Amino acid sequence: MATIKVTEQKVILCGEYGVGKSSIFRRFANNTFVSNNDRKSTLGLDNINKQYTIDEKTIRLQLWDTGGMERVASITSSYYKFAEAAILVFSLDNPTSFHLLSQHLLDIVTYAENAKIFLCGNKSDLESVDPQVTDVEMEQFCEQCHNLISATYKTSCKTGHGVDEMFEDIARHLVEANRSRMELHDMDKDHFKITSSDEIDEPSCLC
Amino acid sequence: MDEEYDAIVLGTGLKECILSGMLSVSGKKVLHVDRNKYYGGESASITPLEDLFSKFKAPPPDGSYGRGRDWNVDLIPKFLMANGLLVKLLIHTGVTRYLEFKSVEGSYVYKSAKISKVPIDQQEALSSDLMGLFEKRRFRNFLIWVQNVQEDDPKSWDGFDPFSNNMQALYNKFNLDKNTQDFTGHALALYRDDDYIGQSAIGTIRRIKLYSDSLARYGKSPYLYPMYGLGELPQGFARLSAIYGGTYMLDKPIDEIVMEDGKVVGVRSGTEVAKCKQVFCDPTYVTDKVRKVGQVIRCICLLDHPISGTGDALSTQIIIPQKQVNRNSDIYVSLVSHTHQVAAKGWFVAMVSTTVETSNPEAEIKPGIDLLGPIKQKFVSVSDYLEPTDNGLNSQLFISTSYDATTHFETTCLDVLDIFKRATGEEFDFNKVKHELGDEDQ
Repeated sequence: MATIKVTEQKVILCGEYGVGKSSIFRRFANNTFVSNNDRKSTLGLDNINKQYTIDEKTIRLQLWDTGGMERVASITSSYYKFAEAAILVFSLDNPTSFHLLSQHLLDIVTYAENAKIFLCGNKSDLESVDPQVTDVEMEQFCEQCHNLISATYKTSCKTGHGVDEMFEDIARHLVEANRSRMELHDMDKDHFKITSSDEIDEPSCLC
Repeated sequence: MDEEYDAIVLGTGLKECILSGMLSVSGKKVLHVDRNKYYGGESASITPLEDLFSKFKAPPPDGSYGRGRDWNVDLIPKFLMANGLLVKLLIHTGVTRYLEFKSVEGSYVYKSAKISKVPIDQQEALSSDLMGLFEKRRFRNFLIWVQNVQEDDPKSWDGFDPFSNNMQALYNKFNLDKNTQDFTGHALALYRDDDYIGQSAIGTIRRIKLYSDSLARYGKSPYLYPMYGLGELPQGFARLSAIYGGTYMLDKPIDEIVMEDGKVVGVRSGTEVAKCKQVFCDPTYVTDKVRKVGQVIRCICLLDHPISGTGDALSTQIIIPQKQVNRNSDIYVSLVSHTHQVAAKGWFVAMVSTTVETSNPEAEIKPGIDLLGPIKQKFVSVSDYLEPTDNGLNSQLFISTSYDATTHFETTCLDVLDIFKRATGEEFDFNKVKHELGDEDQ
């Protein structure tokens, strides 16, 4: 019944609508890119598992996308539950998406208290000589968050630049976090996921 | 909002969220709206604790309750039957992946002013004080017979037709006394009143089988409870709907369901109108198309200790059969705690509920309240049980019924499946979704 969840880590994408969360999701899933936001291509897709090996330790990142719920409503709080890592995504050509990050950060620390948080500036291909969001501003944001942010990245889903590197680095952070946690205490876990009942044994007699 | 949809769903209670998920999965374009800022409506779990106190107009909680956001308090108490319809829906829609569960530790039944554990295996049955030695043997024969009944094989009926005979006849066949009948009907078959005794025995047989099949799955009791509270359930189905293209809007007041020639054509909020072919909603969105058929009283009690006599269980259910307290419907007590992430460390949330029978409902639940010991805070609500006066077949307006006083989700799911069938003309195909979710083998 109780499963030991050591290697599978839930990673969630957070940020404003249109910053490229689904593009990151698609790059992670099958390394493709669709230019105009074609929602249909992710219909029915929920989360994707991918395996990483860091210093002979195997870890599975399970990446979750919002399903577009943030477009006009808020995301359900259950999206955040059990997350081990959260990627705060903004668009490097859109300062508003950067300035609204604090609200998303608040949601993460409220609903996924123990998640490690990463900052990702997406659409680096659109970053011009005169950047809309500067490296200094990103650093300042991390400082203001009292170092809640474990690492920052710049990615371009259009070219694919930086995406693989980001997930490998996140995997490394999680392996290290797990290592120290495992040393601290064995995780007590008597809750479980329910599965199909095909393998039910003899019906038990009530008396 | 000014778009055209196949279906608009109003309210994000569990029933509406399951429907929204099923419709989106079936390829319908769905708009799902709630007037509240939060998901779940009546089936939400309220968090933080401050919000629960202010909802019931109580002064804010003091420091003894720990961190407010560690609390997720249900408004309607229910458990999932481990082999019941909701679990089937969760598995077949894949929503199960969003949730984690704990098995409820034990089920108790009230007899002669004290509580006894409902036995879960032979050993517990032998030591149980619920019945005498000879009665235990008769009861055992009865259960073995029930277990062997195959509905489509009359040979397995051993000369007793469970379709044409009523339950009283079956009790008589096995010579079970009134106490055992009470226990069987209320603690195993989970009937709220005694109407079932005069009805065909097959209904009770099905319910006892559901109980024992559910018990067989996780052992300690037939019930499951989700981590972080029941409010996770509607949210899971809402995500399913969104993943399949459903659009969500919260905090959006609904001013009118627009009808033309007795048929739904859209929904208006302020000056915006969203067009649609069908509307699904809970009774609070259409007060003129529902009738009141009863009332349910629910009392949320915050405790800093477990219930005595339950072996300090962190979760439990207690059933007080109607006859034990001279009533016509059972009183239910449910208990969950910090172990489910619904309360701060060391705290318990008990809920006492029943169908209202008198003009003083608070006095009716006293036998349940008395079992709890000292109560730190109590919130009482009496809500109308509403059912639609329109089945929607012509109007294409499909209204769910209110949540009843039963302790589990079986009637909830039956209502949902019935609405789905009325709206689409076909039964929901459980297998349809399972094959399409392509993320399992990536």
